[in-house]
Amino acid sequence: MTYALVSLSIPLLSALALMLAGARLSNRNAGIMAIVTSLLSLGAAWFCLLDVAAANQSILLNLGGWENGLAIRLRLSPLSSLLLLFTAFMHVLIGIYAGFSRRGVSRDFWTLSSLLHGSLAALWLSADLFNLYITLELLGLTAVAMVALAGKKAYKPAANYLILSLVASLFYLLGVALVYGRYGSLDVVLLGLQTQSDTTTRIALLVMTAGLMLKAALWPLHLWLPAAHANAPTAVSALLSGLVVKGPIFILWLLWSEVAPVDLAQQIGPVLAVAGMIALVAGGLSAMRSPYLKTLVAYSTVAQLGYAMMALGLLMAWQLPQMHVALWLFVIAHGLAKATLFLAAGEMQTTLGTKRVSGLRGATQTVPVAMFAFAVAGGSLIGLPPSGGFLAKWVLLEPMLSSPQNWPWAFGVLLGTLVSAAYIFRVVAISFDRARINPPDVRPDRLGHWLALLPALMVWGMALIGEWLIEFLSGGGV
Amino acid sequence: MSALFTWTSLLPVLIILSSLIPGLLIFATPEHARTRRTLLNMTGIAIKLILVALMLAGVSQGLTFRFEIPFLPSAPLVLHGDALSLQFIALSSILWLATTIYAIGYLEGSPLRSRFFGYFSLCVSATVGLALAGNLVTFLLFYELLTLSTFPLVVHRGTPAALKAGRVYLAYTLGGGTLLMMGVALLHSLVTTPDFTAGGYVLAQIEDSSLGLQIAFILMIAGLGVKAALVPLHSWLPQAMVAPAPVSALLHAVAVVKAGAFGIIRVVYDVYGVEASALLALTQPLLWLAAVTMIYASIRALQQQDIKRRLAFSTVSQVSYITLGVALAGPIAAVGAIVHLVHQGLMKVTLFFCAGNFAETLGIHKVQEMDGLGQRMPWTMAAFSVGALGMIGVPPVAGFISKIYLGMGALEVGQPWVVLLLAGSALLNAAYFLPLLYRGWFGKPPADGWQQDNFKNHRFETHWMLLMPALFTALLSLLVGIFAGSILSPLGWSEFIVSREFAQ
Repeated sequence: MTYALVSLSIPLLSALALMLAGARLSNRNAGIMAIVTSLLSLGAAWFCLLDVAAANQSILLNLGGWENGLAIRLRLSPLSSLLLLFTAFMHVLIGIYAGFSRRGVSRDFWTLSSLLHGSLAALWLSADLFNLYITLELLGLTAVAMVALAGKKAYKPAANYLILSLVASLFYLLGVALVYGRYGSLDVVLLGLQTQSDTTTRIALLVMTAGLMLKAALWPLHLWLPAAHANAPTAVSALLSGLVVKGPIFILWLLWSEVAPVDLAQQIGPVLAVAGMIALVAGGLSAMRSPYLKTLVAYSTVAQLGYAMMALGLLMAWQLPQMHVALWLFVIAHGLAKATLFLAAGEMQTTLGTKRVSGLRGATQTVPVAMFAFAVAGGSLIGLPPSGGFLAKWVLLEPMLSSPQNWPWAFGVLLGTLVSAAYIFRVVAISFDRARINPPDVRPDRLGHWLALLPALMVWGMALIGEWLIEFLSGGGV
Repeated sequence: MSALFTWTSLLPVLIILSSLIPGLLIFATPEHARTRRTLLNMTGIAIKLILVALMLAGVSQGLTFRFEIPFLPSAPLVLHGDALSLQFIALSSILWLATTIYAIGYLEGSPLRSRFFGYFSLCVSATVGLALAGNLVTFLLFYELLTLSTFPLVVHRGTPAALKAGRVYLAYTLGGGTLLMMGVALLHSLVTTPDFTAGGYVLAQIEDSSLGLQIAFILMIAGLGVKAALVPLHSWLPQAMVAPAPVSALLHAVAVVKAGAFGIIRVVYDVYGVEASALLALTQPLLWLAAVTMIYASIRALQQQDIKRRLAFSTVSQVSYITLGVALAGPIAAVGAIVHLVHQGLMKVTLFFCAGNFAETLGIHKVQEMDGLGQRMPWTMAAFSVGALGMIGVPPVAGFISKIYLGMGALEVGQPWVVLLLAGSALLNAAYFLPLLYRGWFGKPPADGWQQDNFKNHRFETHWMLLMPALFTALLSLLVGIFAGSILSPLGWSEFIVSREFAQ
């Protein structure tokens, strides 16, 4: 647990230091500091993972030594240790990209990204609804500020994002208040033992769910996402799609797998799963039609979150532990793949001087590494074996296929696969156009392109630890 | 740990790496470093041939070559060199040699050769991996990798026509791959994924979940049928003809269509087993499908005026012989099917090499332009004739052997109508191949000279790197027919395979 606290506090302290230092620290030094602290946090997260793997169960900690019910309680489960590691890794990677590739970022980026890192780490460790609210609010505000870093053109999407984010937080807070009024407790573990499916609980859970779905851009509350993610600076887009939207999903998952009474979860589950299926297809179709590359990638996030929603919905409906595994494998595989897609898309845009998908003609020759990275990461989104996306899909499919009345769900996955293949290969096919090559404006930035490739290779590398991952996550989702 | 490091377990991995590593190195080779690229290619091929020979010797001595790493719960990644995989690997390694030499000559002076040969090697690696796959999940993995590594080859020219064909190709093959994945996952949920076993492993479950097994079979055959170009899933193949000639040769003779056919062999023999397939009433529909494909594609071939397109439809028809032999579900037909995997490969690759030579040397693409070709290019025309006659089934070329075994196999299992079908197909084959031979040998060359005439000052009728591979494969198709009685021939080896499959 100590390691988890270290991993959580380092980025928060770093954010504080960066804020206090202000202009006294040069942009470059601020960047180095943020990267080094992320690295330290990554190291701590690694030891934390080893601890949990050795203990093979969740570790609880009451901050300040107060009793249950009074204290702020932190919980380190195998899942949260994995998410800590994942978050720290993404921050290191994207930090290096932002600091050393040709596309610079402003100094505020470093403060904000450290803050984002800290709030996400706190979110993964929280086991208390109010605590979660605070981390959620912090996360949302930081994310909005990061979108606005792109300058004037991003102000409008950032403002929209801010308003929706605040509304969503209010919804969530309302639910929290209702729960507190009804049960007098906000601790996830304690609530799990008490909740009953009466009207107050129902309303509270539904209101919270609506708020969280809006925050996570789950269909049909996703409309703010493409504009916000596509207009943010490249490094920010990667963080937003790869990590930020996963925060609310984590809370949603806690609510429905632990807090909510089982009969209520079983009623709502199929609705969520159907919404996920629609997200998969509708988001995919929008991605297929999008004329702009980054918008395409952003819509693909909407689509891919559909898988997560399906896994969550079916987890609730069937109460099957495999679905925990499927859900979090999707989240991690998607995070890695999406980081590559955004970094590669950003790099290709800068090099080729165009935002349009059609501007990628000849990209396999002009920006080979970035294009290859895009295709490889896309393969994981489609779910081609042996990528991480395939692992997740396989785990999701098994219970669907095991009895004939569940086969319609498998059809949804089939459809989702085909649509994802369509929008990914739409880009890939254009990049092979040699007849009308779009010449690059500047020489490709080697470091940026290779960094974009790294997470794509990692998501395929998940195959090597596939069996271990599945076992680790099913050993105790919570 | 010790199991990981014996030579018998590492050999399958090395066979894949022997083309994968040169492939990756070739990607990093600068465009102008022609010698380095050729050297990498040739070294890879030489190593692969040696390793394959080693494995052949091992398997005929009764050694097992198995490599395993964990991947999914109760579905590890398994590479397993058995007699059937060797049949396919030996074919692909030898044809990789011929096609690489051909491609070096064919692409001389054209751009992006490093990319081309890189993907070419990856494609061979995926094919070999697919042959070595020891269970369905591993097979699926290489099946998808094959799609991904062949796509850049299909669109290599980068013209609008090539891109269009590439999109069609992807739509079909990725769709097929998804169906296959569904089938594999469904089967996994019913019986998990053990290694391929002669005689199959689903028999015990047949009482409880016959519907699930049937659906899984249909999904998998549909997925494999796309690559094997079974009608109505064949349309991508003729369109993919825009690819450079060596790619067409590779796609048709070895990599893609054979991957589909090989998969069908695996599913019927080593997953379901002949007995369970028959009990589930699955073989008879497959037989009809193969029969329809055979006749329909031959008729379509007859209508084509473009040489490559005619050859493409002929491929569709010929590959369905393999499916036909499998669906007949008897030992003799099985020999016919498995041996045809090799025979069709050798003959078809010859035909494509020759068609490419006609196009490269004299700019000939259409059937009508073939008049008098034999006078300008006698050697290529001779090789083409060997391939064409083999396809018709004229002894002693390889195709004759396959057809005899398929026919005898049909009689053995009491389906005499298949013999008529084979005869009809042979007639159609003759109808679309003989006019080409007639024009080539007996037609008059155009009075105003050839529309273009390259390689005039060469020692041979065309570039030697284009001619030699064609002659080599033509010679092989003759030799495997003449020496079919020997144990070392593809036929002898097929009988060895079948004796194991039908042992129970």
